[in-house]
Amino acid sequence: MAASPLEQVRTATLRIAFEANFASARAASAAIRAFLAEHGVPDKELFPYELCIAEASNNAIQYSEGPSRDLKLVAEALITPVQVELRVTDHTAGFVLKERIPQPSPLADRGRGLFLIQTAMDEVRYIRGAKENILVMRKKRRAIPAAAAIPGQGPADALTLEKCSRQLAESRSQMTKMAEELLLRSETLSSVFRCCAELGRIDTASEGFKGRLFADLLHLTSADWYVLRLISADGTKLLVTATSEPDLSSKPIALPAAGGVPTSIEAVVAVSQKAARFDVRECSDRSEPLRSVGPEGAGLVCPLCFGGERVGTIAVGRRNGDFPLGRLQDDVIGTFAEFLAIQTLNLRRQKEEMRNRVVARELEIAQDIQQLLVPRSLPQLAGFGLAGGWKSAREVGGDFYDAIATGEKSLLLMIADVMGKGVPAALFATEMRGLLRGLAARSSDPAELLCGLNRLLYKDLSSVAMFITAQIVHVDMEGRHLTVASAGHCPPLFVPPGSRSVSMLSIQGLPLGVRPDTVYPRHTARLGTPAALLLHTDGLTEARSPSGVPYGQRRLMAWLKAHTIPGRNATEMRDRLATELNRFRGDSAMADDQAFLLLVEEAAGAAGPASTSETRTRLRRTASPFFANS
Amino acid sequence: MKIESLDECLRISEILELTAVNSAQFQDEVRSALGDSPSVIEINLSQTRFMDSSGLGALFALYRATGKHEGVVLRLLNPMPEIQQLLELTQMQLLFEIVRR
Repeated sequence: MAASPLEQVRTATLRIAFEANFASARAASAAIRAFLAEHGVPDKELFPYELCIAEASNNAIQYSEGPSRDLKLVAEALITPVQVELRVTDHTAGFVLKERIPQPSPLADRGRGLFLIQTAMDEVRYIRGAKENILVMRKKRRAIPAAAAIPGQGPADALTLEKCSRQLAESRSQMTKMAEELLLRSETLSSVFRCCAELGRIDTASEGFKGRLFADLLHLTSADWYVLRLISADGTKLLVTATSEPDLSSKPIALPAAGGVPTSIEAVVAVSQKAARFDVRECSDRSEPLRSVGPEGAGLVCPLCFGGERVGTIAVGRRNGDFPLGRLQDDVIGTFAEFLAIQTLNLRRQKEEMRNRVVARELEIAQDIQQLLVPRSLPQLAGFGLAGGWKSAREVGGDFYDAIATGEKSLLLMIADVMGKGVPAALFATEMRGLLRGLAARSSDPAELLCGLNRLLYKDLSSVAMFITAQIVHVDMEGRHLTVASAGHCPPLFVPPGSRSVSMLSIQGLPLGVRPDTVYPRHTARLGTPAALLLHTDGLTEARSPSGVPYGQRRLMAWLKAHTIPGRNATEMRDRLATELNRFRGDSAMADDQAFLLLVEEAAGAAGPASTSETRTRLRRTASPFFANS
Repeated sequence: MKIESLDECLRISEILELTAVNSAQFQDEVRSALGDSPSVIEINLSQTRFMDSSGLGALFALYRATGKHEGVVLRLLNPMPEIQQLLELTQMQLLFEIVRR
């Protein structure tokens, strides 16, 4: 058989043997008192125990007879967490302990001792033996009163049934309140989590997630309406963004400038960033927008802000005025408001990021296109150097140039400026380059080529009100002969034969895309020695110094004259011109795109008949966007 | 213990305990002070920390001793709560005025 569980209780015991006289008995009762106090019996409860030991001992002494007077008496105390047991061992003849000793008359001489013991203790037994008897006195200990554990508090009153019931009812009510609060808070969190989960699934711009969130808000706060207002992008107004019913929507509320005083409740909350309760019945302002919730409407307006950033306000309440008040209610609405603020800010950031990504991608595309606008390499003829440069004022420029070898000793040079910037301009530029290369296979006459280009591009250009100024130059190296046609482009600069000065060929001609049937005249000129030819866009001559002075035709011609020196190569000259233009502009912003083509005779007489047989058209990588794009 | 007699009032005070140990002595001393036939006997219990049934017996004996003199007021002054409870339990308040002041 298995042993049943043992009931074990730790006890403390004191046993005192003492002489049979009153003084010793008194000392013993005092010692028992001290012992009980030491073991946690409260001061106020010690007196009865001390009294019981004293009474029992005194009786034992009084009734001792003969030799038993010499025997020591024993007083014992045994304390457990739930009970105090006292014992007094005597050597008397003993007596019969009545079940209940009646209260003695105040006029009685004796008989008070046992009555007091029975009154003070819960249980009293008298065990009679052959040589000794033991009076056993037991008393249950009180439930450990709070006052005993908490120093500085008064004595705990006896717990009456009434008090217990009251405390129980209070505890139950508190528990119910706590459970309700817990439930409300957990439902708020659930709602927020649900909303977060939905954010990942649905289009956040749709009303879906907001509708669900507000339905939860109304449910949890026992409200029957809400008005969400967000601060406008310029920060001057509170705009209605969502309402529970259409009739709650109202005009934008103006937010005061710094230092101004807001008038409506929502504006006050948005500015102060502090929640406010309101009751239409207490509102005297006839223009208050929240009056739309009805003459008895009441509720709470919470600011939507996060990390110091103001987003808007949310007003929640009931139309019949009995909106519950309290910290918990405010907390729940506050949680929703904070969540809405975070979501709104996140949405804005996402949109901004998206916009930035689109812009960045557009720039990437534009830069790729820009690379296509100028040829990666330019044809070179023996003894002549050709170099081109361009720099855009924006990410994508409308200026471009091209060079096509038409024979071993001849070239077609083209420079153009699409009036209009950005990607559309670049698209026309690439289209025009493609067309020119196609047309150049059949003709190398600049006038014919411009007519052809105008015919082909007119429809597209005119439909978007754009046009292109362009210039095409055919260079015959052998005869140092130039054939030029221009479509409204700025004149080419060159050094004519036998001259030390620079000339320009001013040629009339409408830009491409202005009229469908424009006829372009052809002009000719001859190159001197050493030969120098500069085709450019108006971005060079119209470049401004920091004080606003244009670079101008004259300055450009002077530069070309100063730098047309025998033996100088095209790349070096291009770099010097680029440096010159940058120097002139200084730190002022670039107003327009710049592009130019330089044809330079690198070795005088190199294109003469003796060397013709050795002359070969070859490709060199000399064209590049050598201006740093800033 | 201290016993003072002033006018017709006998004042007994500074009783630390009233028990089987000293109840006989208490009775003797008080009885010997009754010669002046006081009309008021006031026992100040404010310092009495412990009392047993022998102590109560000593008080009862005093009642008996003075009961012959009509009109003597027996007064117990400022007992500690435990002692007061003890006095009430044994109906001493029927024999003595218990006064707090």
